[in-house]
Amino acid sequence: MDGWIGKVLRVNLSTDKVSTEALDPGLAKDYIGARGLGTKIMTDEVDPKVDPLSPENKLIFMPGPLTGTFAPSAGRYTVVTKGALTGAIASANSGGTWGPALKFAGYDAVIIEGAAPKPVYLWIKNAKVEIRDASHLWGKDVPETSDAIRAETDDDAKIACIGPAGENRVLFACIMNDLHRAAGRSGVGAVMGSKNLKAIAVVGTGAVTCADPKAFESAVVKARDKIHKHPVGGTGLRLYGTDVLTNILNQIGGYPTKNYQDGHFPTADKLGGETLAATLLQRPKGCFSCIISCGRVTKVTNPKYAGEGEGPEYETSWGFGGDCCIDDLDAVTKANYLCNEYGMDAISMAVTVACAMELYEMGLITKEDTGGIALEWGNAEAMVEVTRLTGIGEGFGKKLALGSYRLAESCGHPELSMTVKKQEIPAYDARAVQGIGLNFATANCGAAHVRGYTIAPEVLGNPVKVDKDTIEGKPALVILFQNLTAALDATGACLFTTFGIGADELAEMLGAVTGVGYTSEDFMKCGDRIWNLERQWNLNAGLTANDDTLPPRLLKEPIKTGASKGRLSRLPEMLPEYYELRGWDKNGVPTASKLGELGLTA
Amino acid sequence: MMVQYFALLRDVTGKKEEDWRQPEATLGDLLHALVAKYGRAFERWVLKDGDLWNLVIILVNGRDVRHLQRLATPLAPTDTVVIFPPVGGG
Repeated sequence: MDGWIGKVLRVNLSTDKVSTEALDPGLAKDYIGARGLGTKIMTDEVDPKVDPLSPENKLIFMPGPLTGTFAPSAGRYTVVTKGALTGAIASANSGGTWGPALKFAGYDAVIIEGAAPKPVYLWIKNAKVEIRDASHLWGKDVPETSDAIRAETDDDAKIACIGPAGENRVLFACIMNDLHRAAGRSGVGAVMGSKNLKAIAVVGTGAVTCADPKAFESAVVKARDKIHKHPVGGTGLRLYGTDVLTNILNQIGGYPTKNYQDGHFPTADKLGGETLAATLLQRPKGCFSCIISCGRVTKVTNPKYAGEGEGPEYETSWGFGGDCCIDDLDAVTKANYLCNEYGMDAISMAVTVACAMELYEMGLITKEDTGGIALEWGNAEAMVEVTRLTGIGEGFGKKLALGSYRLAESCGHPELSMTVKKQEIPAYDARAVQGIGLNFATANCGAAHVRGYTIAPEVLGNPVKVDKDTIEGKPALVILFQNLTAALDATGACLFTTFGIGADELAEMLGAVTGVGYTSEDFMKCGDRIWNLERQWNLNAGLTANDDTLPPRLLKEPIKTGASKGRLSRLPEMLPEYYELRGWDKNGVPTASKLGELGLTA
Repeated sequence: MMVQYFALLRDVTGKKEEDWRQPEATLGDLLHALVAKYGRAFERWVLKDGDLWNLVIILVNGRDVRHLQRLATPLAPTDTVVIFPPVGGG
């Protein structure tokens, strides 16, 4: 096979059985790879009703056919499993260089089954695969783990691992690779911890072959040129990183503040990408084959929060910043470093802290609960400290480790958790931007901005400007973005290539590297198929249309200040049309006709 | 009126904001005055072939001018005009 390697590695940690099998070309064609093919494997092999933290759950690490090629920003892989946080299908997407390494080692995927009786790590060097003891690594943070494994395997080993958070099954624990890159959401790190799997270390000396090298080169050069010429993909993200979004979201009144009590934060500029570039930024950084370089290598010298690493991204800057009423970028960046070192999803961690701050303000959490920490709005030291406690599994951190939904529910106020399907909502106020709210409510993995990033047309104007406050046409727009993103995710290319290219260019590159003649329509149909397969999995897991909603605050409490003052989400008006356009019945269940169109069965 | 600059427009203008004292009837009048002051380095981020560039984000009192009257958007002395070059992220 070309693009794809043609081989899948399967490791059963309960039996120590290591085996390989051929990749099914028919399934590869229909589901492409990564998120798509990973979900298909989950559908075929895992009962959706399993306990996510049981040995019956599986953990799939999967790049795509573009991963490891010189297509632009083609360094991604996805971790697919049943999410510990959500109980829904989880597909956490990460960049860096680990995904390409797995392909160079000779595999399209690693499927982890069962659970080891004691801590282990997987060492893959091309065809040689070992399950090694990791007892001496258990308890180590991500940098310590990575250094230790490289010392006993290979200096060039690429490492995907969990920190103490995953070991302690923090429900939003993530899997880190290349030290600072995260397969972030839905608690995939907790699943890895439940299997006693500390890390997967990879060295690969092979290559990805190409069906039509001339056509691929032509398509790639064209795509790279378009991205390079686009002001965002070519310049803006390198200069300011994603944190440049802070000020634009704040200026339109859609910057969620104080656990979403408001949509405007007066001192947001202190947290923005411009300030980051002027103070903490050392240099930009890109992933494998990337020309965008949105990554931020940063350093905090303030002795109170000293550290170095990568980030913060916009989500992290917002979550630990405005959502907690904090405008101290040093403190926010320190919390970001802690999330990377302990292996925690920064969005869920931050929004859980914000929820806890509101519960503390109401007297439902007290100093007795927090061990003496005054978890007040704006208290940066408290924010950093409870983040640290969550990472190491001590004190009040053990309560925060459950995520905001279970925390708020234990206090009798689940409505104060800003979540969908128990996953914390990212940094865009659904009252100020209608389409993104519909995306949050319907994304199969729980609230996630990158599943259908309609912020691009609704706020940024890319590729065209759509009015953020209207609902006409929004269901169709959200579906378009969700389907395109599902297909793109499956290729192993980065979402940020869409600042420049779209389905046409992606289909052309995919077709040239694999030799499968994808048209743009085929490509989008793959996305639709992946979306519906995820939906079916969730329905079989027990989720229903009742889970396609937003917290009451966004439906009933208008924004208080700023440019979007007075606005509410109009989700209930958009959802019926969304279901209809999706080809689902009024309960959000795919119809037989829709499934037949996509080659799926009920 | 208050004019605020973000991202690389802060480098181009050398400031985060300025209190613009000249009366400008429309956004187009304001942008032409700013181009006269800051030159081509500013113009390339806001205008294309004499019209508002589709990717520049300009808000008047928090409303995107691409949904108002674009360059013909009327301005008042108490307005706040915010200008972003194309930005993106996720």
